[in-house]
Amino acid sequence: MYEGKDVRVVMNGRTLLNGVDMEIRSGQITVLVGPNGAGKSTLLKALSGEHKLAAGRVSLDGTAISELSARELACRRAVLPQSVEVAFSFTVAEVISVGLMGSGARESGRVARLLHSVELPGFAGRRYDSLSGGERQRVQLARVLAQLECGHADKASYLFLDEPTASLDLAHQFVVLRLARAHADKGGGVLAVLHDLNLAAMVADRIVVLANGNIIADGTVDEVICDEVIERAFGVSVRVGVPPAGPYVLPQNIRHSAGTAQA
Amino acid sequence: MKKSLLLALSLVCSSGLYAMTWTATAAETPADSGAKATPAKSFTVTDARDRVVTITDASRIASIGGAVTEILYAMGLGDRIIAVDQTSTFPMDAKSKPQVGYTRTLSPEGVLSVGPSLILATDGSGPRTTIDVLEQASIPVVMIPEGHDAEGVLRKIELIAAAVGEPEKGKALADAVRADFETLSRALEPVKDRPRAVFVMSASGGAAVVGGSGTSADAMFQLAKATNAMADIKGYKPAQDEAAMISEPEAVVVMRDGGQKLDADTIFALPTFLGTPAARDRKLLTYPGSYLLGFGPRTPFAVRDLAVALHPGLEIPELPARPWHTEPVQ
Amino acid sequence: MSAEQSSSLPVTEHKDAARPVAAGLVLFGVLAVAAFLGALAIGPFSIAPGRIIAVMWEAWSGVETHTSAMLRERVVVMDVRFPRAVLGVLVGAGTAVAGAIMQGVFRNPLADPGLIGVAPGAGLAAVAWMVIGSSFLVHLPDFFQVMGLPLAAFFGGLVTTLLISRLATRDGRTSVATLLFAGLALGAMAAAGTGVLVFIATEQQTRELLFWTMGSLAGATWIKVAMAAPFVAALLVLSPFLARGLDAMALGEAEAYHVGIPVERLKRIAIVAVAAGVGAAVAAAGVVGFIGLMVPHLARLALGPSHRALLPASAMLGAAVLLAADIFARMVAPPAEVPLGIVTALVGAPFFLWLLLRRRAFVG
Repeated sequence: MYEGKDVRVVMNGRTLLNGVDMEIRSGQITVLVGPNGAGKSTLLKALSGEHKLAAGRVSLDGTAISELSARELACRRAVLPQSVEVAFSFTVAEVISVGLMGSGARESGRVARLLHSVELPGFAGRRYDSLSGGERQRVQLARVLAQLECGHADKASYLFLDEPTASLDLAHQFVVLRLARAHADKGGGVLAVLHDLNLAAMVADRIVVLANGNIIADGTVDEVICDEVIERAFGVSVRVGVPPAGPYVLPQNIRHSAGTAQA
Repeated sequence: MKKSLLLALSLVCSSGLYAMTWTATAAETPADSGAKATPAKSFTVTDARDRVVTITDASRIASIGGAVTEILYAMGLGDRIIAVDQTSTFPMDAKSKPQVGYTRTLSPEGVLSVGPSLILATDGSGPRTTIDVLEQASIPVVMIPEGHDAEGVLRKIELIAAAVGEPEKGKALADAVRADFETLSRALEPVKDRPRAVFVMSASGGAAVVGGSGTSADAMFQLAKATNAMADIKGYKPAQDEAAMISEPEAVVVMRDGGQKLDADTIFALPTFLGTPAARDRKLLTYPGSYLLGFGPRTPFAVRDLAVALHPGLEIPELPARPWHTEPVQ
Repeated sequence: MSAEQSSSLPVTEHKDAARPVAAGLVLFGVLAVAAFLGALAIGPFSIAPGRIIAVMWEAWSGVETHTSAMLRERVVVMDVRFPRAVLGVLVGAGTAVAGAIMQGVFRNPLADPGLIGVAPGAGLAAVAWMVIGSSFLVHLPDFFQVMGLPLAAFFGGLVTTLLISRLATRDGRTSVATLLFAGLALGAMAAAGTGVLVFIATEQQTRELLFWTMGSLAGATWIKVAMAAPFVAALLVLSPFLARGLDAMALGEAEAYHVGIPVERLKRIAIVAVAAGVGAAVAAAGVVGFIGLMVPHLARLALGPSHRALLPASAMLGAAVLLAADIFARMVAPPAEVPLGIVTALVGAPFFLWLLLRRRAFVG
């Protein structure tokens, strides 16, 4: 289990996370939602180890991540950022091999397989900087999946996705979320920050709602996606309906000032 | 130990051994070097750094320094020079010789490639690594002192004459130059009020770089019985505008070939000289650099030119015509 | 690695997958060896190439030089060209690899140690050592008499590199504009400091400085080789350990951390490595500009940006380019020679402008 306890992050004198407790369980997709500025990305970065904590502790199977070596941690936790600019003219294969942890031999076969899984077959030799935003995002996903292959099969590895679908069209959103599901089904844990509440409701095993640096709801889709919670978090009046496939969210009217409405 | 052995070996090598040189460079065959009176036996001189240098062959000279080159030509030994440096600009014939670069940044292989048997170099030539390599190749390097007065010029002539094995020619040249200096100092004896003058080396960016005390320009002013208005500065440095104005120079002296156009309009437009007597009279004296600051055999003529310009009304006799004063000198 | 990679890829693979890395490395190696042999064979003093080998063999086997012609040949080959070629390899490889590492750390192909003030900083420290250090030099142990200069240049480079990374990097991101402007300012400060030192230097010191500030291999001696070699060797030994980290850094500092790169340690090692390469080169040959900019760029064009190939390729190509430039400097106006720094600047400055124009969108 990947766990944050009493996680507090202060940057430039501003408290971004105010003592948050958060668990990411193996075999599950945990989705983090919340309005802009709620601290979703900050929480993801705090859990991944990128942000320094003002207080609290992040641990993996009970061991503080600060006590793991950079490599040990990297084999069991990978992060897909919102977007990645590559400084030089790397090829797709070279970008993915950054995630291969220097395995050396058999690289090309693994690269081809990973590209196939993100539906970019034949892209290995393409220049990363010539790709579209969506293609880049899927290359990064392949790189991140490659990274987790170095961990032990019997220990769960954790995939952190920061708004992974933002630049993707509908079909490729499904590619990404299907791969996330496959990772969870293999016993891994997934933490995904999502904007789209409907998408969240569709893929999440568990949803955590963050607002103003505090968790205001944590539970199953049915427990969390309800009118009151969404209204409290986003300040928007909504009506949650339940079509045959599951709940969906329909915005009603804007109560406060404009600008916070999402979904 | 091996080095001293090499040195000893090379000492017994006479100039004739050059015929065994493998290289195809035409310049390296001594047959066309024009050497005639070179004595085959070796001799020694003590150079400007008090080193005793042994010379066996003075037929192929690399001449480093404008004054060194002029002195060799003045002794009629121009045809022994096989290479010169960048500052050797007089006589014209010197410019047709292979040029090994700037005095202080000589390339060791460049100098070696012209196949010199003797290197006469103004003290301060370098870098040191180059001089080391040349000596390692057992080529005698004689450092010629940088004298900035009559005695200094005469010392240069004597040392160069000794180093090339032509003491008589040296004595004749030295006697003539000494006589010229004496004529001048007699003529300038009555001078009481020394005019104030300033030497401007360059004026890039509106700042005049002037010759302070300890410079060759300062030495020229002393020989011409003038006062260096910039004597408070040491060396060649940018002048402070106000200090220059207060010093009230009556004449400004510049070089003709300084690489930059220094005419009266340029000079007297500088804030440095605003309101000075020199600017009022537009008194700008221009000479070739090697003539004015070279401290070679032409120096008495340069001193006279300067004195005539700075002491109007004073009777200064013409110096006797000297072959090295005018082109061509062969 | 990439070469075998391309062969086993499915047929659907894109054509340019086949980056001829192995072939490229071999080619650069051949170029470096050719340039080295060229530097031994070519010079204003004409010696037949076959004779050069004979001269070296004679010198090593201790054959005495019977004629002064033999002696001169031996001096030219063994005391002039040979140390100069070796020093050229050290300076070229050191500068180019330092440039490649610096560009990797700053994630920017314009981060040339000369342009962003590191080489001028090393130069200032070296000048300070020559002018001020020499007054107490006699009291120092022998080690410092030889190694003081490169050590001073190394620390000068180290301080400037630390300064520039502090100034130009914010939250793990390096602004190109800040990098170049801060580099410009640091370079100007170093130049001003050097000017002050030249002002207070004795005339003899000024002459040495003049020779040295123009950037040249002309004063190459075995002592200078011995002076530069440990630093360049340290750089070359360190560089393979930096390769994977620098590749990861290309994706961003956070991403590098996420894939298990100890980013802060990597940056510290990289900065030390850069300072070592630049310091050694500056101490031995003065400031020879643009090699650190041009060479990694050309190597990237040929072999791709992956540092596993880029760093060794830069070392070899750097040696080759520097030696070629030095041969040109010696042969363009014999028997005089042009300062090497002028040759590299003549080629490098337009190259930099071209790079800048191509990347104008990034610089803003």
